[in-house]
Amino acid sequence: MTKRNYATVNPCVMCQPMGSALAFKGIENTMVLYHGSQGCSTYMRLHLAHHFREPVDIASSSLSEKGAVYGGRENLKKGLRNVINRYNPKVIGVATTCLAETIGDDVPAIIREFKEEEGIGDDLEKDIIIVPVSTPSYGESHVSGYIKALDAIVRTFAEKTGDESAEKVPNEKLNVIPVESLSPADVRELKEVFELMAGDYIFLPDISETFDAPLREDLPKIAQGGTPLFEIADMPNSQASLGLGTVSKNLAVNYLEESHDVPGYSVPIPIGLSNTDSFFTELVKILGCPIPVKYLQERGRLLDAMVDVHKYLYGVKAAIYGDPDFVFSLTTFMLELGMNPVLVATGSKSRDFEAKVRQIVEKINPEFEPVVLNGIDFDTLNDAVSQCNPEILIGNSNGRYIAKARNIPLVRVGLPIHDRVGAQRILTVGYRGAMEFLDRITNAILEATDTFTAPVQAEPTVHAGKGKEECVEGIR
Amino acid sequence: MKEKIGIVDTLEERKPYITRKQEKEQEIPLACDNNSLAGAISQRACVYSGARVVLNPVTDAIHLVHGPIGCAGYTWDIRGAKSSGIETNRTSFSTDMKELDVVFGGEKKLSSAIDELVGLYHPPVVFVYSTCIVGIIGDDLESVCKTASQKHNIPVIPVKSEGFKGNKSDGYKAACDALKKLIKKPPEDPTAKKAPRSSETIKPKINILGDFNVAGDVWLIKPLFEKMGIEVIVSMTGDSTAEAISRAAEADLNLVQCSGSMTYLAKWMQMEYGIPYLNASFFGIEDISLALRKTADYFGSEKMKQQAEQILETEINRIMPEISRVRERVKGKRAAIYMGGPAKALTLIKGFAELGMEVVIIGTQTGKKEDYEQISYSVRDGTVIVDDANPLELAELLVKQKADLMVAGVKERFIAYKLGIAFCDFNHDRVVEFEGFDGFVNFVQEVDASISSPVWKAVRQRTLIPEAVESENKSGKIEKAAVAAGSEKKSGRMEKATVKEMISEENHATECKGILLKPKFLHQKSETAVESQV
Repeated sequence: MTKRNYATVNPCVMCQPMGSALAFKGIENTMVLYHGSQGCSTYMRLHLAHHFREPVDIASSSLSEKGAVYGGRENLKKGLRNVINRYNPKVIGVATTCLAETIGDDVPAIIREFKEEEGIGDDLEKDIIIVPVSTPSYGESHVSGYIKALDAIVRTFAEKTGDESAEKVPNEKLNVIPVESLSPADVRELKEVFELMAGDYIFLPDISETFDAPLREDLPKIAQGGTPLFEIADMPNSQASLGLGTVSKNLAVNYLEESHDVPGYSVPIPIGLSNTDSFFTELVKILGCPIPVKYLQERGRLLDAMVDVHKYLYGVKAAIYGDPDFVFSLTTFMLELGMNPVLVATGSKSRDFEAKVRQIVEKINPEFEPVVLNGIDFDTLNDAVSQCNPEILIGNSNGRYIAKARNIPLVRVGLPIHDRVGAQRILTVGYRGAMEFLDRITNAILEATDTFTAPVQAEPTVHAGKGKEECVEGIR
Repeated sequence: MKEKIGIVDTLEERKPYITRKQEKEQEIPLACDNNSLAGAISQRACVYSGARVVLNPVTDAIHLVHGPIGCAGYTWDIRGAKSSGIETNRTSFSTDMKELDVVFGGEKKLSSAIDELVGLYHPPVVFVYSTCIVGIIGDDLESVCKTASQKHNIPVIPVKSEGFKGNKSDGYKAACDALKKLIKKPPEDPTAKKAPRSSETIKPKINILGDFNVAGDVWLIKPLFEKMGIEVIVSMTGDSTAEAISRAAEADLNLVQCSGSMTYLAKWMQMEYGIPYLNASFFGIEDISLALRKTADYFGSEKMKQQAEQILETEINRIMPEISRVRERVKGKRAAIYMGGPAKALTLIKGFAELGMEVVIIGTQTGKKEDYEQISYSVRDGTVIVDDANPLELAELLVKQKADLMVAGVKERFIAYKLGIAFCDFNHDRVVEFEGFDGFVNFVQEVDASISSPVWKAVRQRTLIPEAVESENKSGKIEKAAVAAGSEKKSGRMEKATVKEMISEENHATECKGILLKPKFLHQKSETAVESQV
């Protein structure tokens, strides 16, 4: 493996403000404004538009040289004023970029000043809610940006519910907060589960409509849908919060527990059999209601599907990469299927990732020892792939270069997916998601081997890039 | 503050940037070339982006982004710029600055990253792009690059592209400044004023400036010049290598296609090496013809002029049946153009004219006053001209101007789709060539596929109301009957033979206002004027 210490080659993460947009865009009637230079907003809009195939409007305070030298106060205020004027949003998420952070703008103070000047109060019904979140690009990744934004949203709304002395009015609702951005199809699937089981729930953020909007008679300025604001404000009154994801810290769930005594539970993102099982089991525990027959049947159907394909998948070596919790859940599923996730990697720096992955491997297949990588770029992944020799790649579309060079299939999942359609409709959660994903993986393997019986024998072909010599030698 | 005066509902400060071409009004009072308005959701990117898109197609260079990960992450392999050899440019390199680098400065990390990458890749050149925070924390890129350059004995060139230091155009300039450092003095006396070579024995040399070989465009253009006996030293920067760029000053002439990004470099080469330049476009029959003829005229060789005419005759005859077929299907449709650069916008106006289509909206991200003047001369009265447009303006304009098709980039695509309007990508993402003769065929076919897909009929009926379905069926029947009663030629696809027959019947050229085809290519007989189908 090539050892690099200084240069990042082909990044496997996006930056913090991008994550914040993924969160803010799941809130009803919300606009996002990046405090920084114009390019940040354009690039991230392009990235998201490409993935979701939807118009994605993100404003920018368009800092120029003057703003960078003298501070971005006036630009930010002007940006806010213009966004209100044009989009008439109920919420504006203001995420900082590295520029605004480095020049040291005190964004919360500027917002306070702006609200005073414009006579905007804190009333949820009457006023525009402005949520600042600090997301410099040089800190962590889009995953942390997403988590931070959710935390900021919950804090803003939870603190705005009125006077502190007021008694809590329990609402019998369940808060659901994933730590990783799910696909709109995933969110739709989960909402259906909660509708059937919990009756009343609050799902934050809800991108099921905002990032996958139906073609309507007209084009609304802000996509319809998203978590309703009164529901976010109601989150402190819920009977419990369920966090989806156990690798990254769920700041919003923690906050609700610590500040508002809403008990928080966390389960892995429900991808695969056992993760979906623990998801339903946890729901039964929290809600005290039985699992709907529909899902028990789906579970049976998933088992049936797993039996059908077990021979095609047994021992197939897979490399899985993407966001920490998502990869963790996918890995669990692959292990359940008898596959060998020889390489498990995340682009984000995540402290608990390796330990969590090792734990689940220990639990399902203790003889097996995967390479686990954390905070990597695609070049490192490429080197690791050369060593581990997987027969299939599972991850976002940026892995296509590696897959192509080695002539192995890539099953696209996660973000970004720029080179195929349907990213917004990829379903992985729940028993149904597991079945769909199982079929995709099996078919990709069958396609690659073009046989119904033999195990996969894909040998690495010409290996692009600099690891070439070692790779060719390795094959000989 | 919201009022409904003006062409579209927009912010007071945005109003000077939107205008309508009016009859008898020569001066177009359009504001442009300013920084984007805060909160207006400009479709523009930043200085870094401008520099990156221009330089990125240099295939064998290391393009190292000195900054936090985002800047490199979103621009990874961003252009569909093809390479005939090495593809180092498709790899994304970044110093991935972290908080500590911001606090203590990133110079050391940068210099180590350069050493590391040069050791691994052995590139002929390294471009180091500066980003916003590099400008703020004040890393001395110049000196780091200079030291690295001496150490490794290759050019390590700083690209001064701090995102906030202007807009995309400033990035173009930063890229050109970087290219300037790669271009070597030619072996001949560079101060001698270049005169057109009339001698038929010496092969004249040209550079193509401002073609980025998206989808392989350049590969359809170079052979045309080669057939005319001209050597193309380098195309900047599409499918170029550091070595080829270093020889650029040996050229007798520069052809500038993307004027927005490359005129600055062309002017510099004229001043420094006495190489004159001509503006050219390789999109659409009219502009390709013009480019070949202008070049032949410049060199003044009769043989070359003949060769140009021969190429044009053969190629136009070859592609015209398909152009005419599509033209029959799309003429009278209304197009909206929103481009990054003005040169592409201008050439598209002519392209649409060749298809009998009308341009109803035209805008750019980086146009300057002269560009908009030229645009205003080229469009019909009533066309809306807009600078640095935003999504809400574009959406309202598309509806108000009743556009049938929009040509733009990815961010605009979904605005059009949501409004039920056909879309054609003329940006980084396209995977088929649009330049040259076969490229124009690709373009018109895409226009046809975009406009003629039955999906738009379904989209027009977004809400399912049983009665509405009934009435739509009825009107559909009426339309069908009308078509059947009319000319047979208008009904969909035609047999090849019929098309050939039509070419000679149709007066294609006169309808394409100002098309510069030789009389023998003009079709003799004239049919009735294009009736608008809108």
